[in-house]
Amino acid sequence: MGALRLDLPVAGDRTERALIRDAQRGSVEAFEQLFRSHWPRAYRAALLVVGDAAAAEDIAQESFLAAVRALDRFDRRRPFGPWLHRIVVNRAIDWARARALRRESFSDVELEAAGEREPSAHARALAEGLALLQPEQRAVIVLRYLLGYTPGEIARLLDLPRGTVNSRLRRGLDRLQEAVRE
Amino acid sequence: MRRLFDAVPSDAEAEERAWSVVREAYAHREPVVRRRRSPIRPALVLAAVAVAVVAAALSPPGRAVVNAVRRSIGIEGAQPALFQLPSPGRLLVSGAGGTWVVAADGSTRRLGAYSQASWSPHALFVVAATGNELAAIEPASGRVHWQLARPGISFPRWGGTHTDTRIAYLTGNDVHIVAGDGTGDTRVSEAARVAPVWQPGTAKHVLAYVDARGRVRIGERVVSHAYVGARTLAWSPDGKTLALGTRGEVVELAVSSGRTHMFHVAGVGALAFAPDGRLALLRGNGVLLVGHAGIRTLFVAPSRLAGLAWSPNGRWLLSSLPAADQWVFVQTRGGHRVLAVSHIRRQFGGEPSLDGWAPGA
Repeated sequence: MGALRLDLPVAGDRTERALIRDAQRGSVEAFEQLFRSHWPRAYRAALLVVGDAAAAEDIAQESFLAAVRALDRFDRRRPFGPWLHRIVVNRAIDWARARALRRESFSDVELEAAGEREPSAHARALAEGLALLQPEQRAVIVLRYLLGYTPGEIARLLDLPRGTVNSRLRRGLDRLQEAVRE
Repeated sequence: MRRLFDAVPSDAEAEERAWSVVREAYAHREPVVRRRRSPIRPALVLAAVAVAVVAAALSPPGRAVVNAVRRSIGIEGAQPALFQLPSPGRLLVSGAGGTWVVAADGSTRRLGAYSQASWSPHALFVVAATGNELAAIEPASGRVHWQLARPGISFPRWGGTHTDTRIAYLTGNDVHIVAGDGTGDTRVSEAARVAPVWQPGTAKHVLAYVDARGRVRIGERVVSHAYVGARTLAWSPDGKTLALGTRGEVVELAVSSGRTHMFHVAGVGALAFAPDGRLALLRGNGVLLVGHAGIRTLFVAPSRLAGLAWSPNGRWLLSSLPAADQWVFVQTRGGHRVLAVSHIRRQFGGEPSLDGWAPGA
């Protein structure tokens, strides 16, 4: 697998690599900075794949707990974000598949419950559009448009052929745009 | 499209809740000691070790070393048999040799060919299970009061008051509840393969268990996140706190506030609250005690420990050393003695698990 990008400057002058090093040495401030910089996207990604605020919180939190467990073994030369996002998205896909078996529906009520502010009409339309997609399609769309990965990076993150990623993106995007236009 | 995604609301409260849990886990993590990679290939090292071991074992002094190693998996100076318990009370154990009650004077009574058992709330009865049978037994006489046939019974647990009791047990991945007189057996829910536990100190029948998704439930109420690899669950004696042991951590749940306190202690196989509320953890060869200042090691054995039982007065902890065929009693109050007894399998017809240490003669 090729190296994924992202060694983002997260706050001030400190790079993510420096934060990981300090967090490995026991700095709770550095670890909090890592958490704060990655939580919003991890949570939103989970929320958009599963459509359930409580489950998204669980998934994002469990992903950070996995990060804590692996922190001392984490290779600082690798970017933290893709590693975390892989866990979040895979857990979210598993959860969404299990829920699909129980025939529950993706509800915008849960999207409202998730936020401190009223979701915009666009966000509501996005949630409804995502609800029409398979969990795997949602995951690919979220990785591409929320987290900003390229199709090649998504393929490596999810262990998928690049062609599969492209086709899921294309089909998912078509359905999503239809829903948003309506 | 990107702007649409950015319009999805975040949740500051969720972030704060998660941060409190994650911060706890970070504070209690156990840093891994990094070792320098040896330039010698691992295969060569293994081969050299194998040659050395074979050579040592074949020579007369080598054989002596091997015998010493065998002895070293147990506690030295162990009693050759269980002559008495170091503390008042009755011990309940089960295994291939059946279910036994051990009195403080060391006398034993076999209750039958059961593989798991637990005490009733006031230790007047024992509920025991074989694969397909659940039975309520009077420990003093061995009289079976009632039996219930169900497939694949495990983890029988008895709770309630002097006058009104319930028994919870699992069949496969379902949790059942039956009244203390053996009537009204009901399947309650799907559950993980973790022993359910009754809340002490209440006249209501409140059962906590781990559901199929790895979440702790109290009755129908979900009170925790989903945890991977849940193994063991216990109530504190005051019924205010639940402790959950998982593959990677120990979580304390304060029932009234819903707050969680997490210790990142990997590999906890058993946990048990003392009557005074201290929490003991079993991990590999060690017994750990959770206190206000963190976790401290109480005892480290020469080989892997199994099972954990507090004496009724909270002064002694009992664990088992299967590789050495020994039981180990570790004093936690009034001294620091470690007492060991050997030949456990001979006395109980097989390796027994520790089902509970209850008051009474």
